[in-house]
Amino acid sequence: MSSDEAKKLSHAATADAGPVITQKSLNDDLLRMISRPGRLWWAIFILDLVILSIGGLAERNQIVHGIGVAGHTRPVMWASYVANFVFWVGIAHCGTLVSAILFLFRSHFRRAVYRVAEAMTVFGVLTAGLFPLLHTGRPWFAYWLFPYPNQRGLWPNFRSPLEWDVFAVTTYLTISSIFFLVGIIPDAAAARDRTNNRWLKLIYTVFSMGWTGANNQWKNFYGAYLYFAAIATPLVLSVHSVVSWDFAMSQVPGWHSTIFAPYFVAGAIFSGVAMVINLLIPIRKAFKLEHIVTVDHIEKLSKLVLLTSTIVGYSYLCEFFSAWYGPNPIERDMFWWRATGHFAWAFRIMFTCNVIIPLSLWFKPVRRNMPLLFVLCLSVNVGMYFERFVIIVTSLAHPFNPSTWDVNYRMSWTEGAILAGSFAWFFMFFLIFVRLLPAFSIAEIKETLAAPMRRKPS
Amino acid sequence: MIGRLVDKLLQSPPPNYHGVMGVYYYVDDVTEAVKTLREHGHNGLSVFSPVPHHDIERALDQKSSLVRWVTFIGGVLGITGGFSLCIYAGLSYPMVTGGKELISIPPFVIIGYESMILLAGLSNLIGMLALARLPQVKSRAPYDPRFTEDKIGIWVPCSDGEARKVEQLMRGHGAEEVKIHG
Repeated sequence: MSSDEAKKLSHAATADAGPVITQKSLNDDLLRMISRPGRLWWAIFILDLVILSIGGLAERNQIVHGIGVAGHTRPVMWASYVANFVFWVGIAHCGTLVSAILFLFRSHFRRAVYRVAEAMTVFGVLTAGLFPLLHTGRPWFAYWLFPYPNQRGLWPNFRSPLEWDVFAVTTYLTISSIFFLVGIIPDAAAARDRTNNRWLKLIYTVFSMGWTGANNQWKNFYGAYLYFAAIATPLVLSVHSVVSWDFAMSQVPGWHSTIFAPYFVAGAIFSGVAMVINLLIPIRKAFKLEHIVTVDHIEKLSKLVLLTSTIVGYSYLCEFFSAWYGPNPIERDMFWWRATGHFAWAFRIMFTCNVIIPLSLWFKPVRRNMPLLFVLCLSVNVGMYFERFVIIVTSLAHPFNPSTWDVNYRMSWTEGAILAGSFAWFFMFFLIFVRLLPAFSIAEIKETLAAPMRRKPS
Repeated sequence: MIGRLVDKLLQSPPPNYHGVMGVYYYVDDVTEAVKTLREHGHNGLSVFSPVPHHDIERALDQKSSLVRWVTFIGGVLGITGGFSLCIYAGLSYPMVTGGKELISIPPFVIIGYESMILLAGLSNLIGMLALARLPQVKSRAPYDPRFTEDKIGIWVPCSDGEARKVEQLMRGHGAEEVKIHG
């Protein structure tokens, strides 16, 4: 080994006493993911497409026969579709948290995980956006939601929380897609410079926009990136607040509460981070990236799960306290029914998965045990789905007037198939993403390595 | 047929460059080389690197990006546009509820706020692309794929007469490779 090579290696950082990481090895390790998919990938992808087509069939049925096939009946007219919408918007929240908020706080652990989180955000919003459209029953009229000049002089009602939602979700989709695609530019250039396949080269040339890494490009890239982070941070907090106001602005008992905005934001981050952990654990194992996405990184994410779980738990208790201590007997009755009535099973799943099980994250061995953490995060996502179900269905099934109280809501097969289809839709994008685009930020992970210096810094 | 067309598209002939490209590995070598080159009057140089380095930025005496002003203008347009849209829509299609004001500012704050973020984000993108000269079809300097791996390049545009001197300066500061173009 020449003295120069020895010096280069001595400048390379090591992580967890794993293999030595150099700038070159990072390129090789991370771009290895972009290769011809194996049988396992194809098997998962085809299974995914089969589930997606079942969801598509259900939607076809719903379009042909009308929204009635979804089985929504009075008083529960918002059921699983709205729950799915809130669930997927929630999943989409982690990406911007990890990429923008942690960027502003200079938390370096984000570098190893943020690209996966951002991709999850974009695909999560794409999935969430389907549900208001499916729920309208006539998705081809979705453009009515947007303000556009028309002959009849009609304008949407800007005082309606549903219209705020249109603005919040479309802004979120636009900004998170831009953030994601801008972050990919330098990495697409690295992929472009390595691939021998002409089609992939064309794709990366388009994604990299001719990036060369010139000082002028880096200057403006980071100049803009800081502002993307700065505007995405208030955006992420506002989007789920607006989603929560879809409920909280009405007077329905169980919904009409000022705690909803922070409670929903915390819940969104809670489920989003849990989903990121669920995606990262299999990816780092399948692509042998344990030395890049280390157990420390995952442990830090699991601490975020613990933090947000306590906020969510506090909100649950606070809602009950307000109902008990407040003057409104209808609200009090609603909460009592929620915890003990027909849907008490859903409430118990929600509380166990979101508050009790995550308490085990106080223990370090649990946070560092990957299979256990994977199962725990899955249970968090199940719990968070049930949280939305409990909020929406129990509140609607038990409104002011006792004559309308009814528990005739059952999830229809159409709703079930569309829910399964939504997961397939999300994973379809994700499976293509991990094979086509750099799933980890090569340039940013390189920044965590010590810069190669010939002389020792004085 | 289409494949050949793609190949042709990807391998367009490079323009004629006049200058010297030095390839480096160590950041401190680059910083010293940039300082020396600038002292010799080569102010139009570009540095290509896989990651940005503050030392190099300081050696280049680089000012901070102007993109923030573009973002700010976009944000201002967004917030005024959002409020204007709500007020115009409220007046041109009046929906009176409970005899309340048509122009009710609190709900419009949300539309104004989201529009501000949307336009600030879009103008931030446009500002970044315009200032960084992206998308770039032809590089302004001879590009080397190693610049996205672990090498740093210094490109000094200069006349053929100066090229030898620049090459010597680069080699004196630890360049691994120096190539004269022109």
